Amino acid sequence: MSYIYIKFSNQTQGEKARSVLKKRGIGSRLRRNPNPNHREGCNFALFVSGDIFKAFEIISENHIQTMGIERFGDGR
Amino acid sequence: MIYLDNAATSFPKPPSVVNASANAMRFFGANPGRGGHKLSAKAGETVFECREKLSEMFSCDVERVIFTLNCTHSLNTAIKGILKKGDHVIISALEHNSVLRPLETLQRRGMITYDVAAVNPNDDEETAKNFERLIRKNTRMILCTYASNVFGTVLPVKKLSSLCKRYGLLFALDCAQSAGIFPVDMKKDGVDIVCAPGHKGLFGPMGTGVLLFSERVTVESLIQGGTGSLSLQKSQPEIYPDSLESGTVNLPGIAGLSAGLDFIKSVGGEKAIHERETYIMNILKEDLGAIKNITVFEKMHGKIFAPTLSFFVNGVHSEQTADELDEKNIAVRAGYHCSYLAHNFLKTTRSGTVRVSPGYFTTKEEVKFFAFCLNKIAMSRKI
Repeated sequence: MSYIYIKFSNQTQGEKARSVLKKRGIGSRLRRNPNPNHREGCNFALFVSGDIFKAFEIISENHIQTMGIERFGDGR
Repeated sequence: MIYLDNAATSFPKPPSVVNASANAMRFFGANPGRGGHKLSAKAGETVFECREKLSEMFSCDVERVIFTLNCTHSLNTAIKGILKKGDHVIISALEHNSVLRPLETLQRRGMITYDVAAVNPNDDEETAKNFERLIRKNTRMILCTYASNVFGTVLPVKKLSSLCKRYGLLFALDCAQSAGIFPVDMKKDGVDIVCAPGHKGLFGPMGTGVLLFSERVTVESLIQGGTGSLSLQKSQPEIYPDSLESGTVNLPGIAGLSAGLDFIKSVGGEKAIHERETYIMNILKEDLGAIKNITVFEKMHGKIFAPTLSFFVNGVHSEQTADELDEKNIAVRAGYHCSYLAHNFLKTTRSGTVRVSPGYFTTKEEVKFFAFCLNKIAMSRKI
């Protein structure tokens, strides 16, 4: 199982991104980050239906703070 | 019971508000943003939806919409989270104790100073000049009520905003009596900080309040703790709203508030609500005008006013009049309405005032019956 998602430090930024993507016809789901790193602790992951890089571009254009795109898992 | 105490809290609430709060508890009462499961996500989405609606309503960035317990909590956060040592603040002579007391507390601690500007409800220019005269080198903020909770007086918000812009001051509004009745566009109107209750004109449940602030403002947190984010950091997250929302937020309250905001939209927005309440208030004022042996503070209403009016039966303490009205199943508030300043300004500290505040659901027949009962009470007291 592998995951790729856009990472947010808090829920509001993630929801804000979800809302912006929805207005552009892109579906997404905000969840707790399944793989938080040990320095930061809890944060949020936005799973995008479709092109995640395009979604990331839209989110950045809207000045929503992210912690970047993250992937983890074994790739199977 | 005829409820004429909407300045304290709006009642009844629209059925959609009651249902939204109940549904949140019944169907997805999980902790928003804390768990990874679907119920927590649904709760988080509900909170965000309400935040987004408030952001649109007041024209404020969504992350700068902070949920609080009530308007007093919002005002305390704004006052204590923004002001620095040496700052000076100007407030109006009609402020609620939720503005006065935090400022007085900071002043007694030697942190800040403040001055009080007189208000002329029938001369906005004069009111603005009264504020301007008090500006000093270290003045940081004008903080005032949009509308008096005792007299319904509306302050000249646009003039005060221009004044703040001219002198580079922050402009903060206590919208306890105006939110949901008078619109505020923070960006267009030049308002930096808005404090509002969720449970009055916004029709939400008690235990809800909001603080909104512009990008010009940095607000320090008064309490720190769990935010559901960056949990392995020792320090409080700096990002809004998390930095100002430690602890579990009031999901049932916020779900209800969200439905309250929808209700306002569904009836035509703040303008329609203001028109409806002004119509009722004008009927009330006309009827009170015909009653002898009472003093009505109608002159405190300028051209526009909030749906709140104060009066007393001559020679009788306001609490006694309110008790007599309660016996006739009419709910009003008497006394001093948590406003040291307003009652000193109008010299009503001896008897206090009876405050009558109709709401969106008040009918013409209800205020007519109120006036009828008051007339009987006033006549019975006449010597």
